[in-house]
Amino acid sequence: MFDIRTNENGEVVLSGRFDGAQADKAKGIFDRLTVTTSVDFKDLAYISSAGLGVLMATQKRLSEKGHKLKLKNASGHIREIFKIARFDLIFEIE
Amino acid sequence: MAILCKKFKRHLNSLAEVFDFIDRFVDQEEIDDSARRAISLAVDELFTNMVKYDPKNPNEITIELQVEDQNLLVTLIDRDVAPFDLTKKPDPYLGSSLDDRKPGGLGIFLTKKLVDDVQYHYRDRTSTITLKKKIRKKNV
Repeated sequence: MFDIRTNENGEVVLSGRFDGAQADKAKGIFDRLTVTTSVDFKDLAYISSAGLGVLMATQKRLSEKGHKLKLKNASGHIREIFKIARFDLIFEIE
Repeated sequence: MAILCKKFKRHLNSLAEVFDFIDRFVDQEEIDDSARRAISLAVDELFTNMVKYDPKNPNEITIELQVEDQNLLVTLIDRDVAPFDLTKKPDPYLGSSLDDRKPGGLGIFLTKKLVDDVQYHYRDRTSTITLKKKIRKKNV
């Protein structure tokens, strides 16, 4: 079960499994972001390339206006996926 | 030698059922979580590609799981399709700046990185992809 919401601090909070079936749902939230935003991965168990694609498309769009996504609280195995995808080069990962 | 085989409807909504199928086998065989995560992601990527690039194909996609000699073997069989040998797809260059990176194109690359071996066979308009992942039994 995947869920995406915005918390009281304006952060995007992800939970569950961000797989190929969830990209459209996530895109609906990420497409509305217009300023630098933290994305909390604390409760996210899993992310596939479909999820990485949504993050990267958002990062490219925000960067055109001088803003960005900050990725935080990712688990060890999600950090490993970020590392393989070289997200360390294009995202601030806290 | 344990084997589990199931057919899945060609739709992204089938992914939840695919994950349940993998989890059931992994639990039954007491396979470590690292292998579970790697295989789940690899199957997600390949299944998603099969759905995305041939959405009108009425055939279901078959997934077979088996443990053999401390390896988890996963076979995906896709019938009545054009050939696409993923093992020959070049890896993307990921060292460029954000401006030069393109969203997408990471699925096959992640799959190759997360499993130990990928084999592709094509015959009679049927693609067969076999993934191999070394496993550790949880209680050993």
